[in-house]
Amino acid sequence: MQASRARLFKEYKEVQREKVADPDIQLVCDDSNIFKWTALIKGPSETPYDGGVFQLAFSVPEQYPLQPPQVRFLTKIFHPNVHFKTGEICLDILKNAWSPAWTLQSVCRAIIALMAHPEPDSPLNCDSGNLLRSGDIRGYQSMARMYTRLAAMPKKGELVFR
Amino acid sequence: MISDSIANASIAMASSNPKDFGKKKRANRSAKLKQCKLDARREQWLSQVKSNGGCKEEVHGGGMTHGLPAGPENGRRIPIEKLELKPRVEGIYGEMHQYSDSESSPSNSPTSHSSSELGSNDSGANFTASSRSSSSSGRSSSSSSNGCFSGGISDEDEGGVGDDGCLDDWEAMADALAATEDKQQEHIPNSGLDSPPSEKHGGSTKYGSQLSVKDRPFSGDDISNAKQESGGTAIQKSLIHSQAWRPDDAFRPQSLPNMSKQHSFQLDSERHFGQGGSVWGCKNVGPVPKSCPICYEDLDCTDSSFLPCLCGFRLCLFCHKRILEEDGRCPGCRKQYDCDPVEGEATLDGGSLIFRLARSCHMTTTS
Repeated sequence: MQASRARLFKEYKEVQREKVADPDIQLVCDDSNIFKWTALIKGPSETPYDGGVFQLAFSVPEQYPLQPPQVRFLTKIFHPNVHFKTGEICLDILKNAWSPAWTLQSVCRAIIALMAHPEPDSPLNCDSGNLLRSGDIRGYQSMARMYTRLAAMPKKGELVFR
Repeated sequence: MISDSIANASIAMASSNPKDFGKKKRANRSAKLKQCKLDARREQWLSQVKSNGGCKEEVHGGGMTHGLPAGPENGRRIPIEKLELKPRVEGIYGEMHQYSDSESSPSNSPTSHSSSELGSNDSGANFTASSRSSSSSGRSSSSSSNGCFSGGISDEDEGGVGDDGCLDDWEAMADALAATEDKQQEHIPNSGLDSPPSEKHGGSTKYGSQLSVKDRPFSGDDISNAKQESGGTAIQKSLIHSQAWRPDDAFRPQSLPNMSKQHSFQLDSERHFGQGGSVWGCKNVGPVPKSCPICYEDLDCTDSSFLPCLCGFRLCLFCHKRILEEDGRCPGCRKQYDCDPVEGEATLDGGSLIFRLARSCHMTTTS
């Protein structure tokens, strides 16, 4: 408990220090609970998620960093490894491949990498996975692009639809 | 940011807990050192007041020109038996000697200062050399005059501390000191009362150190031969140390050089993992991080010499233990820390035991 707090606080300071270094990731700690974090990540360029800002919710266990944080998308995203309804992420480092050397910041980077390189063979979103596995990359991209515009770029979307 | 302040407080508590002990120890030690220094200064003054004739020279030679106030004079004041029999006392005075040295004379500090930063081992090394020399010269002074004694001492100190080249190599310095000591033994009866030939002494010091650096075994043998010829109790004692200590030498002071300390650490880790040369190779793979990548606490010297996995991933012993209690996989490569869990436990226990022993040893010798 104390160790995880200490570690999270150090990570908080680290994040404050490196705010400028990584403009794609914005990690914010909950005001009243250091075990709840929110991250805003930018969709990687040259992907259908480009231009979108996706919100992630971190729930850090007390055994952190020995146990991985629980992360899920709050923003709707069409991705084979993200559950379409719950936002749950299927990522090995968040499960059995977790290492205490990872930080919340590096988890964000890993999620950005996952957005750029989906793994259709272990899908949480079967529709998206099936599109990719059947080779319909164009279909996958247009669906993902649509949901990015709908969910991850709300202002622009509003402007477009009005 | 209420949570922050709370977290801050709790973190302060959490982080201070494991370190508190060490800090206290350190504080204790520095306090002791300060006390010793003060005592030494007072003793020095007292000695100057008491023995006025020869000691004026002493002040000039030792205190002012070379910036070495406390050590040798103080050593003379203390009964010789004390110096020889109680390594604790020697240690304290030796450290004090070195500290005061680096404080009072910044001109010749770079090497000595850095060495004092390296750890108290070095100062320990210094003390063994200086205190032994002071003890032997104390004897010589008892047989000869004051003036002669003072001249010899100041020169010796210059040769030992002021010479930068010598300080880099502890063995060489030890040799040099032994050499000067020996030279002094020969000189003092000859020079007698009237003329303490400080220049000659300086020359001989330099000569001795150079000789010993260049051609160590020769000088060592030469010296020991000379000593055997001249005989005497004090000489007999220093005869044992006339050559530099080998790592396996029984007379080598435990806290002597840093190098051998690390060397022994490496040996420990090698034994710990039983993997032979590969550990040595991995040891130099990456730079040692300043803080533990798991808990972000600073790594102390025990932690930074702790290499639990062949992949070279370093972490503090505390986190290592916590990981072993959970899944036991290295955070760096995600492999199990040891193939055989039972054996792994055993070797871990052995390893940490060794480290703890080394640390406690460190404490006792320095504090």
